[in-house]
Order: sequence, then C-alpha cells, then structure tokens
Amino acid sequence: MAPNAHPDAERTPELPLLITSPVDVGRLIRELEQIDESLLQLGLRTGGQEVKMPKTSRLMDQTIELNDLNLLKPGDRSALKQFLIIVRQTAPVLHVSFGADPSVVFAEKLMTWLRQEIHPFTLITIGLQPNMGGGCIVRTTNHEFDFSLRRHFDEKKNLLIEQLAAAEQAA
Amino acid sequence: MTIWWLVLILAALGSVGVAFIWVAVRVGNIGAKARPGSNPDETIQDRADHDVEHIFDADFREELRNRGRLHFEKIIGENAMFLQQDLRLTTSQLNEYMKTEITAKLTEEFDKYEQSIMDAKQLAIDSIQKTNVAIDEQRELMSQEVQKQIVLEKQEMAKRFEANMADIINHYVLAAVGNQIDLSDQLEYILGELEANKQAIIEDINSGA
Repeated sequence: MAPNAHPDAERTPELPLLITSPVDVGRLIRELEQIDESLLQLGLRTGGQEVKMPKTSRLMDQTIELNDLNLLKPGDRSALKQFLIIVRQTAPVLHVSFGADPSVVFAEKLMTWLRQEIHPFTLITIGLQPNMGGGCIVRTTNHEFDFSLRRHFDEKKNLLIEQLAAAEQAA
Repeated sequence: MTIWWLVLILAALGSVGVAFIWVAVRVGNIGAKARPGSNPDETIQDRADHDVEHIFDADFREELRNRGRLHFEKIIGENAMFLQQDLRLTTSQLNEYMKTEITAKLTEEFDKYEQSIMDAKQLAIDSIQKTNVAIDEQRELMSQEVQKQIVLEKQEMAKRFEANMADIINHYVLAAVGNQIDLSDQLEYILGELEANKQAIIEDINSGA
C-alpha cells in the first residue's frame, strides 16, 4: 500500500495530509487550471505587459513539494492535473461523523492512519452529529461502521443492567 | 240468686194467704152450723165474705202491703248489695283479667316488636356485612389490578429504559461532561476501532459501489 514500495518503478504521486476531502481535490484542480491559464496568458502576452502570477495555496505548495514538481513545466502541470482528476474519480471516500469539529492535528493523524492502512488516496468528508457523544461513525460506500460512544454503551447495556440488578438486590 | 229469693218470698206470701183463706172457711162453717133454719150455703157465703171483709180490712191489707214492700225493699237492698259486691268482685276480676290479658298482649306485642326489630337489625347487619364483604372483594380486586398495572408499567418503563439505555446514558454523559470530551483524547479509541474493522472497510472499498 505504501506509495514508494518499488523505488525503481515510476514514482507514484502522493497526496499531502492536508488534502482530506474531494472538495480539497477539486479546489486543487481549479487552482491548477488557473495556473495553467495564467502561464498560457504569460506566453501569449508581448513584452511590456504585466501578467500577474496566481498565488499558490498551502495545499498546492505541499502537493508540489511532496511530489517534487515544477509547475512551470507543462508536463508536471499536466501530470498533476491528471493525477488529481484520477484521484477525484477513483479515490475511496469515507464519510466520518464526529460529535465535534475535529482539529487539524486530529484530522492529520486520522488521514495518516487511513492512507497507511486503508488506501493511499483515501479521502474523507467530515460530518457533525452533536448528539453522538464520543467516537465516530464511518460510512463507506455500502456500509456504516458505528464507533460511537452510544453504540459502545449499547453493547455494554447488559453489564449496566446486571450492575443495576445487583444494586437493587443489595438495596 | 236474686230470682230464687224472690220466688221464695212469693211462695211464702202465697202460703200465708192460703192459710188465711183456710182459717176463714173453717170459721164460716162453724157459724153456719150455729144458726139453724137459714140457707146454709148463702149464709156461709155471706158470713165468709163478711169475715173476710172483717179480717182483711183495709188497714190489714195496708199493713200487709207495707210489710211486703219493706221485705221486698230489704230483699232488693240485700240483693243490690250482693249484686254490688258481685259487681265489684267481677269488676275487680275483670280489671285483673284485663290487666293480665293486656299485659300479656302487650308483652306478646312487645316481644313481636322486639323480634321484628331484632330481625330488622340482623337483616341490616347481614346486609352491611355483605356490603362490606363485597367492598372488600372489590377493594382486593382493585388493589390486585392496580398492583398488576403498576408492575406492568414498571416493566414497561424498565423495558423502555433498557431499550433506550444507550441514548439515556449518552445524553447524560453529553450533558455532564460533553464539553470536556476532546476528540484528540478519543483518537486512540477511534483508531483502535478502525483497526479492528480495517479489513471490512478495505473489502467494502474494494468491492466498490
């Protein structure tokens, strides 16, 4: 599953941990298209006319840095765009619901585990269920995995009933 | 008793009258034998009439009448006295009898009345006892029904509590320490759960939509 399992083979692009959702991928694709458009206009303009280069986002910076790309090269841009489109189309998307909005650090740790253990291009969409308490609920394409505190309580219900019965008998 | 006395007195008066008549006849017969030459039948008859008139003159008859009246009054008085005594005795006996009878009758009526009251009282007591028994039975039934309903309600509440226990505890935990639960603290638990279900997640992803 590791992206660099075979050093001799053609290097497989990677997704930075900050790119977590399909929205982020779409945003990168649009940004890349803007860069393409800017560089195209830069090539078409004659001298004396100023062309503003678009500023790259942090996500884009991490992406090109991680994959050792040069966006001034049309080939790299094309390859990155192709890669992002493939990712958007084929990457497994998990919907994860939490009781509260997760922090960036938390999301990074979670993405690290998911991309190491599940799939290198795993994307997630984050939802909020304030009444869930602790834990999370993970929905894949065909299945839902309930890791919430409520499910945990439900599983341990008999234990609580036994404790209540014991307390009642003791009383 | 009074009638017999009256009859006896009348019989005595009659005997006295007959004796006088017989004496007069005997005296007349003797006079006729003393005057020979006249009609004996006429003479005797005349003499008898004369002697009767002579003996039983108006004074004598008045005397006899007075005596008879006095005797009669005496007898009447005595009889009246006896009658009064009898009447008093009878009245006394009648009073005693009436008193006894009335007392007996009243006693009997009072006994009946008392018996009726006792019967009515017993009937009322029986009725009250039956009512009390019925009320006790109804109360017992109602108590049992209420107990049954309470047990059912308790069981239903326990069932609902057991069915929604996870939600209740979850709600309680959220309300009690919800603000203190940080996702970072749960990372280990979440990763553990993901690790436990990793194979299922991979299979589901690989199987595709």
